[in-house]
Amino acid sequence: MTDEVVNLKDFFAEVRAGRLTAIRCSQCHELAIPPKEFCGSCGKRAWESVPLAGHGTIASFTVIRVAPRGHVGQTPYAVAVVRLAEGVSLLGRVTDLPLESLRVGLPVRFRPLVIGAETLIGFGPA
Amino acid sequence: MRRVAVIGVGVTKFGKHDRTSTELFAEAARDAVVDAGVEPRAIQSLYYGNVTGGESERQLHMGPLAASLLGLPTIPTTRFENACATSHAAFRHAVMEIGAGVSDVVLVGGAERILHVPTEHATEYFAYCSDASFEQPTGLTFPGVFALIARAHMDKYGTTEEQMAHVAVKNHRHGVHNPKAQFRKEISLETVLKSPYVADPLKLFDCCPFTDGGAAVILASEEVARRMRRPVWVLASEAATDTMFMHEKRDLSRVTATERAAAAAYRRAGRGPEDVDVVELHDCFTIAEIVATEGLGLFEPGMGGPAAEKGWTSIGGKFPVNVSGGLKSKGHPIGATGAAQIAEIVTQLRDEAGPRQVSGARTGLTHTLGGNTATVLVSLFGRD
Repeated sequence: MTDEVVNLKDFFAEVRAGRLTAIRCSQCHELAIPPKEFCGSCGKRAWESVPLAGHGTIASFTVIRVAPRGHVGQTPYAVAVVRLAEGVSLLGRVTDLPLESLRVGLPVRFRPLVIGAETLIGFGPA
Repeated sequence: MRRVAVIGVGVTKFGKHDRTSTELFAEAARDAVVDAGVEPRAIQSLYYGNVTGGESERQLHMGPLAASLLGLPTIPTTRFENACATSHAAFRHAVMEIGAGVSDVVLVGGAERILHVPTEHATEYFAYCSDASFEQPTGLTFPGVFALIARAHMDKYGTTEEQMAHVAVKNHRHGVHNPKAQFRKEISLETVLKSPYVADPLKLFDCCPFTDGGAAVILASEEVARRMRRPVWVLASEAATDTMFMHEKRDLSRVTATERAAAAAYRRAGRGPEDVDVVELHDCFTIAEIVATEGLGLFEPGMGGPAAEKGWTSIGGKFPVNVSGGLKSKGHPIGATGAAQIAEIVTQLRDEAGPRQVSGARTGLTHTLGGNTATVLVSLFGRD
């Protein structure tokens, strides 16, 4: 057990290095994406960090064709919610996959995406 | 809690304006004062809603500004920001201020001005209502958020793009009869289906527009309202929240905050979905209306699409939904939307809605959703 809560800066530093980190409640074993102070399931504060393998399947996706300022030159691009094998989900930019090949249930794998100063969660071919 | 009634409403024309958002609110509030027939000095406080003023108008501290423009510069004011549910959230707190016996007459509402900035700026400011760490960097837009919901709903229930298009066609048909609506023009199913994709599977005509506008509501205690000629009673005003993160939503095909806010409102009002005669709900995208009709208990999960297709949500249908034209046709000035929905239901329950009147409406419901389905307000209204 540890009192260390993984903060956003550390989570995305790990993403940049190619690693996904989750936190698990040592009381009720609920798995969550950090940061989180209290366990949403049992209310305790007893997190331990656990690595995620990065394998998952697409739960839903969209192809963005009208983008916000800052992403305008990147269209069209796909964003997906991916259900990871461990049971938690993550939202990420789809990369290295033809847009027309995307479907709910498609297996994908995490990879870091660095665009300018920003580090994104990416998902590419499994 | 003391009983609370709406005694006056005012809404500006929705569309493009060259006045500031607080000026638009002041116009709506002036109309609400005239509608209520109260002295402006009877107003004891202001609950004000606006979302993007800091970015789009370089204006914060809008509560005192709005009060100053109204000529009521000394009343207590608070500005609310709850994404697109902003002025409905403000409304709930105004109801509680009167219900608690703190005040007898309160002004509530909001305004937004966004059409003077380029579309990609507006899209960015609205995206600030989603999380800045996980979501904004991916380039996820609000159409994108609801596209994720649409895809999940299609995958789970077989909902079709045609069924979503029926929502747009119906709301534009209703909006023709609303003189305040941004678009007063019928559209065909083909127009919707042939419009370009914005965020697959949502197309341009599945999306509500960017809009400038203001809306205001005057609330009063029962003691004051009894002296007014046509009070509409607030039967319940409830809020619910869901996780901010798209990655934490357990089921993307549902909006659980709608389900919980509706259940709480029905319980407090002692009514059920079967008692509701007219509904104004948050159709920021066509799929949002389909999911909301399910979450409010009007239809079983998965039946929102077929209900739209069969006309069950049209005027004359089982549950008339968005008879004002909804956000889709009336427009969506995000800080004003909740108050504008309430103004429509009050107009309906007073039997003053003219060609868009739902005959004999006695109980109405408003539903406003904020951001990536994290904030929902549901209120119920009655003639007695």
